[in-house]
Formats: sequence, structure tokens, C-alpha cells
Amino acid sequence: MSPAIVVDGLSRRFGRFTAVDDVSFEVGRGEVFGYLGANGAGKSTTIRMLCGLLAPTAGDAVVAGARVSTQPEEVRARIGYMSQRFSLYPELRVAENLEFFGGAHGMGGRSLARRLEAVLERVGLAGLGRERTQDLPGGMRQRVALAGAILHEPAVVFLDEPTAGVDPWVRRRFWGLIRELADGGTTIFVTTHYMDEAELCGRVGLMVAGRLPALDTPEGLKRTHAPGRVWSVRGGELPPEQARLRLAALPGVLDVQSMGAGLRVRVDRHATLGADDLAASLSGTVEVEEDAASMEDVFLAVVDAEAQRVGTAAAFGEA
Amino acid sequence: MSGDLLRWRNQLLAVVRKEIRQTLQDRRVLFLLVVAPFLQLLVFGFAIDLGVDAVPTVVVDQDRSPEGRALVAGLLADGTLVEVGEAASVAEAEAALARGEAAAAVFLPSGLARDLDRGDPATVQVVLDGSDPTRSGVAGGAAVRFFGARGLALARDRLEARLGAGRGLPSVEVRPRLLYNPTLSSPVYMVPGIAGMLLLIVTTVVTSMGLARERELGTLEAVRVTPIPTPLLMLGKVLPFVAVGLFDVTLAITAGAWIFEVPLRGSLWLFYGLTLLYLLTTVGMGLLISTIAQNQQQAFLGGLMFLLPAMLLSGTLTPIHAMPSWLQPVTLLNPLRYYMEGIRAVLLKGATTGDVAHAALGLAVLGSAILGTAVRRFRKRVA
Repeated sequence: MSPAIVVDGLSRRFGRFTAVDDVSFEVGRGEVFGYLGANGAGKSTTIRMLCGLLAPTAGDAVVAGARVSTQPEEVRARIGYMSQRFSLYPELRVAENLEFFGGAHGMGGRSLARRLEAVLERVGLAGLGRERTQDLPGGMRQRVALAGAILHEPAVVFLDEPTAGVDPWVRRRFWGLIRELADGGTTIFVTTHYMDEAELCGRVGLMVAGRLPALDTPEGLKRTHAPGRVWSVRGGELPPEQARLRLAALPGVLDVQSMGAGLRVRVDRHATLGADDLAASLSGTVEVEEDAASMEDVFLAVVDAEAQRVGTAAAFGEA
Repeated sequence: MSGDLLRWRNQLLAVVRKEIRQTLQDRRVLFLLVVAPFLQLLVFGFAIDLGVDAVPTVVVDQDRSPEGRALVAGLLADGTLVEVGEAASVAEAEAALARGEAAAAVFLPSGLARDLDRGDPATVQVVLDGSDPTRSGVAGGAAVRFFGARGLALARDRLEARLGAGRGLPSVEVRPRLLYNPTLSSPVYMVPGIAGMLLLIVTTVVTSMGLARERELGTLEAVRVTPIPTPLLMLGKVLPFVAVGLFDVTLAITAGAWIFEVPLRGSLWLFYGLTLLYLLTTVGMGLLISTIAQNQQQAFLGGLMFLLPAMLLSGTLTPIHAMPSWLQPVTLLNPLRYYMEGIRAVLLKGATTGDVAHAALGLAVLGSAILGTAVRRFRKRVA
């Protein structure tokens, strides 16, 4: 089976600004592919090109078997898309919104009506078709938007920050739906800037300033891109700010962050610094534990590395 | 192929149905589309009365003679001037004009009857309020015509008495005969103009604001990700408003015929044909504006910026030949101008297809240019 998405040297320039710079990757069928990056890193531009909304200035991509540069309409027929704004007509009923998006994909008549019922059931909104969309809470509107994106049974679904601004419980429920869809064979391409959501993806691509310097499973990314070790430091007599400065001054320490009552210390993989060295630098009883690297550590490490490669601020793009 | 047709049909229906549902949901738009045009037709029809009659007039009669009385009665007979009171002096009459109680004063000096009897030149003075040029022009014209004719009649009586009746006296009489609008009724001339302006407001503004709103909501982006072809999307978005436009124009000419006795002399098919061509230009303009505007406010202002010149340069309110010569060619780019010419000719004169071919051609050329530009700009803007 050919992959659902093949991206090859995709680039997009706006005047002198390069929003997406020579990006290549593949996404397999039924995979949940996460796309991470700061605002302005080029996530939305990539999605817009993959949806056939924006022509690439160089490179190309094949989505669900159609080429984005030459067959954008074919691409749009085979994909579903949901943006962070949910993009529904607030004054219309739920079923009316779905009828419109189904019709826009060429569906009609009894098959559309049947499919509509099935999709509402699937996203947990059975029987709510007659509700006015603007009267629904945000989490439900989000699921209506998802229903609109999967109504025509697309091979690939693009979700552009689908959980922006909804509460954690609703986000978890939404990710349950995404999982189910993927299990049913639908390929999911999702952008997010929530690190916990990135952990739920099969593979994650990390975008920095238009480039894609890291792409792997969350575990793989932590192995290869996270710094040597992460220590959690608690206790001690020094005020937190002073403790922080002391730790940061040790050779091999990359950075120190506040985490709840303690501090989180990232140490370079080549440094020989151990738990005892950290404890010794602070006075009083200090508790030092090794911690697992998180996606946030990966993200920061990748951004750091890119910044060093390109030269400081430029790596952050617009963000 | 039939698969394509079915898909296109479903896509078009989806857009049309959605537009209708949204419009029915929005009472304000519904009012703007259906009730407001009718109200405006009535208000404009009654208010824009370009005819002048019943000019309030004060009479200063210092002669106090039966002849003087008869002259005044004759002057007031056709109703153009209506006596609202008497004044003792010219100064008092001018004060009445200044207060706005009268717009004209007729001054009969003492000795008027005597001069007439003797055959000496007699003078009657008419004082007019020039702040309203149309009214004072009409009132002055009526007075000049009346006294001129009366003077001629007096002279003729005198001559006949002297020469004996039956001797031919040469005279030339002007007898204007007005075609199409014999009573020179303003509404008959104005109603077609108002219909054209209403269509412009309803279709251009509503179309442009509708698309601007979709852009604000983000739904335009969601629609663009569906495989619906741009021309089909555009067609679906304007069809409901073309239908509303046709309904409004039917309402306008029906009301015009009933209330203002606007004649419907020509073919209704021709009238609707011209209306349809005109609607293509107005909805096209709406779409074009929405490709430039960022939000609903800008779309509304853009609509107004097109509306006002279009109305003023259409020949509805001011005749085109009365405009400065450099401005006249500009009206050739105004769809309302062609529509106005066309439907006035059809409704008032019973013009045939051949008579209005140039108007139809003008509308067709402008319509395709505007719509073509709108679709191209829309595609480019999204891409």
C-alpha cells in the first residue's frame, strides 16, 4: 500500500519570506501524524498546501493519491479539513451545516441523510441534529466540525489545531474520537501546540522556522533529541531564584526551569554531572531524582539546535 | 459524465439551500430584501414629485378694480398659483416671502384698469422666491404665459372692434402634445428609476456583505477546502438574490401600476430579460466588492461607494445630456444607465427588442466583464 501522504521537497515563499523550506516526509495509512511548532513556524502554510489551497513554490506532495500541484480539486475531494475556528454557520442547525458540507462534496439525497445520522452517532451527537449550532457549547461545536470533515468518508483528515481553546476534558474526549477514526483506517494529520497531545500521536514532526529538523515517534524523539538527562531537584535552603542560578552555573547544565515546588535541570549528554554534584551545589537536604524527558524538552532542544545552526533569533521565525 | 452532473447539481443545491436558510434566519436581511424596497418605492414615489403646482401666492391689489380682480382670477385658474392671502404693499408681500408663507407675489399697481382702458402700457409685477429655482421658474413661466396671452387677447379685441369683426388677424399658437407621459406625472418617470436603484441596493449590498461575513466566520476557508468549483459556488450564492431581485422588481412595477398609474406598455418578457441582465451586473459588482473588502463594514461602505455614483450618473435623477461633457462618457460604464434607458423605453413607450438592443448589449458586456473579474479575483485571493 502506498503511503497516504508523500511530501517531497515542499517549499513556499511569500516574497522574500520563506514560510516552508524544503520539507519532506511520508505518512502511512491509518497513522495519526502530529505536526508541532510555534505559531508562525509554517504549520498552517504546510496544511494549506497539502489541502490544495495554496500552490507550492517548489517541491510537491501527493495526498491520497492526488498531486497537490496539478490536481488540487482531486485532493480536496479526497480529504476532510477542520480548522481551529470550527468554521460552522452559527445560525443554522447542526444537520443543516452538515447537509451543506456534504452537498459541497457532491453528496445528496437519501445516502447523505443516512450518512449524516451515522456520523452524528459516531461523534456522540445522535439526536442533536435539530439544535441550532450557536446554542451548543464549544466542545460540541468542535465535534460538529469534525463530523463535517469526515462526512464524505475522506481517506485523509487534516485537523488544524482542532483543540485550541477547549477545556482538557473535552480535549481528551476529542482525542478518543481521533484514535477511533485512525483505527478505522483514516489517516489523521493534526497540528497542535499542546505537548501532551503530541504524545498521543503515532509520529511527530517538529517544525522550526519553516524547516522540519525532527521527525519520529514521541519515544524516538525523546531518545535522539532530548538532552542527556533530566533531573528533578527539590528541597534545599536557598530561595528558588538563587538555587536556580547556582545550578545553571554548573558545567554541562543546559537550562533550569521551575516545575511546581522544585526545579527541572536539563544536562548535556556529554557532561559527567550526576545527582550528587547537583545536590552538593545547594545547601541543606536536597532531593534529586532522574526524570523522563518530555516532549517539551524535545521541543526546546530542537529549537535550541536550530537556533545554533542558523544563528539565534532567526530560528524562531515570526514567533 | 452523468456522475459529474449529479455532483454539480448536489453542490449547487447545497449552496442555494444554505443561502436561503441563512437569509430566512436573519430577519434584518429579510426585511432589507422584501419590506424595505416596497416602503422605499412608496416614499420615493410620493416624495420625489418633480412637478410643480399650488405655489402659494400673495396678491397686492392697489387698483381695486373689477378688471384687476378678473386678471388675478384668470392667473389662478389653472392651479399653478394658489392665493394664500392679500398684502397691502410690496414690502408686506416680500415679508411674507421671507417668512416662507408664500413663494410668489402678484402686484397690481393703482391705475391698472385705467391704463388698460386707455390703451397705455400697463405693468403687473410678479415677485418670486428664487431660493427654489424649479418652483420659481415654473411660477414665473405661468405668470408670463398668462399675462402675455391676456395682453394679446386684449389687443386682438381692440383691433377687431376698430377694423370690424371677421377680418383675419394672423396668429401663431403653440400646442404641445406630450407622448408617453401626457400628464407629466413624476412617479411615472421615477418608478422605473426607483426599481433600478432598489435592485442595486438589494443585490449588490446583500451579496457583498454575505461573502464578507463568510470570510469573517472562517467558513469561506472551510468551503474552499471542499471540491466545489468556484463558478458553481458563485452561482449558488447569487441565484437566491437574483430571485429576490426579480420578486422586488415585480413588486415595484405592480405597485407602480396600481398606485402611481405607471403604464406597462411593452412586453413583460423583454422587461424581465433586461432585468435579468442588469441583475448579473449588480450581483457581479457585489462579488467584486467582496473580493476587495476585508470585513462586513468595508463591504457595506464599498457598496455605498458604488451605489451613489451609479444612481447619480444613471440619468434617473438628472438627465445625462445635462451633465458636464467630460462626465457624460463615464455614464457608459454604469449598468444602471443602460437598465434605465431600457426599461423606461419598454414600460413607457412599448419599445421592441430592436429598440433596446443597445441597452441589452451594454448590460451584457458590463455584466460579463464584472463577473469575470470577480471570479478571477476570488480565485486568486484564496490561492
